[in-house]
Amino acid sequence: MDSAFITNLILASVRMATPLIFLSLAELYSQRAGLVHIGLEGLAAIGSLVGFLVSLITGSPLLGVLAGAAVGILVNMIYAYATINLCAEQIVYGMAINIFAPALAAFIYRVYFGAGSELVQVGLMTTLSGLLGIASDNFLVRLLLDQTPMVYLAYGLVIFTAIYFNKTKSGLNYKAVGEYPKAAATLGISVVGVKYAASVICGALAGIGGAYLTTCYSTTYTDGNVAGRGFIALAAVIFGRWSAGGVLLACLFFGFCDALQIRLQVGSYGIPYQFFQMIPYIATVVVLTIIGMKKAGPKGVGKPYLREER
Amino acid sequence: MKNKFVNILVPLISVLLAFVIGCIVIAVLGANPFVALQALWTGAFGSMRNVGTTLARSTPLIFTGLCACFAYRCGVFNLGGEGQFIIGAVVCCFIATRSGLEGPLAIVLCLAAGALAGGLWAAVPGVLKIYRDQNEMIISIMLNYVATLFMGVVYTNWLRDGTVPQTAPVPDATKLSRLFGLRVTTAFILAIVVGLLIYYFLFYTSKGFQLRAVGLNMTAAQFNGFAVKRYILMSFIVSGAIAGLGGSADLMGTQYRLINGYASGYGFDGVAMALIGQLHPLATILVAIFFAVLRVGSTTMQAATGVPTSVSDIIQALVIVFTVAGLAMVKLPQFKAAVAKLSARKEAA
Repeated sequence: MDSAFITNLILASVRMATPLIFLSLAELYSQRAGLVHIGLEGLAAIGSLVGFLVSLITGSPLLGVLAGAAVGILVNMIYAYATINLCAEQIVYGMAINIFAPALAAFIYRVYFGAGSELVQVGLMTTLSGLLGIASDNFLVRLLLDQTPMVYLAYGLVIFTAIYFNKTKSGLNYKAVGEYPKAAATLGISVVGVKYAASVICGALAGIGGAYLTTCYSTTYTDGNVAGRGFIALAAVIFGRWSAGGVLLACLFFGFCDALQIRLQVGSYGIPYQFFQMIPYIATVVVLTIIGMKKAGPKGVGKPYLREER
Repeated sequence: MKNKFVNILVPLISVLLAFVIGCIVIAVLGANPFVALQALWTGAFGSMRNVGTTLARSTPLIFTGLCACFAYRCGVFNLGGEGQFIIGAVVCCFIATRSGLEGPLAIVLCLAAGALAGGLWAAVPGVLKIYRDQNEMIISIMLNYVATLFMGVVYTNWLRDGTVPQTAPVPDATKLSRLFGLRVTTAFILAIVVGLLIYYFLFYTSKGFQLRAVGLNMTAAQFNGFAVKRYILMSFIVSGAIAGLGGSADLMGTQYRLINGYASGYGFDGVAMALIGQLHPLATILVAIFFAVLRVGSTTMQAATGVPTSVSDIIQALVIVFTVAGLAMVKLPQFKAAVAKLSARKEAA
């Protein structure tokens, strides 16, 4: 364990935590409005594919990310309509999205590239240091500047979310919808409106989280590249106790686990690499087991809201 | 009676809608939808051989479908069918290729061990659910990834056979016998028997009734003195055992060796089938066969029209998207009121 190992580990942790931050915030915004969403894996998959395609066609990873957000919103509107208007069970519908969106992504990929396609690669987003023309081996410079704009966006969103939910009237109203929608409605808050807004935010963030994987992390798209991050994000929200700060810490922890497994694979130590790849998943199970559930989430999560029902 | 009718009608309309959209997609891709559908049909049913392939393809799906169905009947979401299936197949592979046993005894042992392994694998989320009040969905999904990676260790290292990352096939003496010389094996019969047993258990035994009661209303079941926690754990273990049995049977029936990508997606497919079949074991079997028809048929369709096979995944996914939404819609008070108004108008006329 030399210092290069540790520096690289920390840098990789930040990189690996970023998609999780987007996905966890997506889940947080959804759950705060009373919508538990287990379909993030699917939204991220389609976001990842569309981000990849758009960035390949236009040559601009930024446009790729925006397209990922757009398609995330679009697909999530199916979820929103079914759960908000039709009062479909949220868990079940989240599963439906998890089956539908990756199938759509795989299909579009096959149609666009044909059956026997060779590996297509795309350029990644430039880092801030690259934009500024700074090249340094200094650890702090690498940690603070050698990151894509998406990383700064993720942390900015965490700060914004923390302030929004705790310090603004609009944020408190938003949370009221997730806690007790009928009371919120009596106060003149549009419950359905907030839930739709939540679904737009959730879809966009989940799409961005997916697009991050193909515009900032890996140069190509493969089926299943989200690799359970959508579900780990769900665990991160529970682990982070439904607060923006807590979610950030949880994501950094899971990002660290992911970085650790990649680093350890390089070392190998004669152990089959798959055992290292298990680390993030086992860590998720262990962490959830240790903290237990303690019902800390919004009270109204998972329950349909019917205005006529009194 | 009317409810039952709606419960059958909604999935049927969903299938129809999904096919209509599927056809539009096929047309947009420049192929003739009717030629495509015809190819799909001949691919799945064109000859006895094709029917055998379709049924063989449906076998693992029936097992994971029943796995999801059984757990959800008790109100717990077992999304780990894939992992439990894989662990069953892995354990079966070890015994079949390494124990030196052969013949019916080995087959029975492999099936039993596969079921046991799947049950134990599913017991993890079950135990965590009842003792730590943990989210069983996340845990069971995480264990899917662990199981898939573990299978990777097995076929790239421990049981690797030659240069290609795969295990040796199970010995001929442990391969399940084919039916009428077709690709479908006794594993299919086993799947149907399991489905019938579950059906009998759920609807004709008092334990099955209690399990369903727990699934419908946990609090009420608790007040009635049902051992809710025991049922939850039991449903997890049985559900995992079904998937594990399926993994074992599929390995000895059609797959023969562990390779990269094996069983990928079977778990979520199982959940989809159970939901479309509305948690009825026999309906789940039918949906599984329907899914297999799409998969087998789409290969022929791809050859005939050039439309990628993954269009069948889209159709499947649309069926679940529409079915779940449709079933929710018919339960809405507005919908019920509209139906009541319509039938009142009919009576008046």
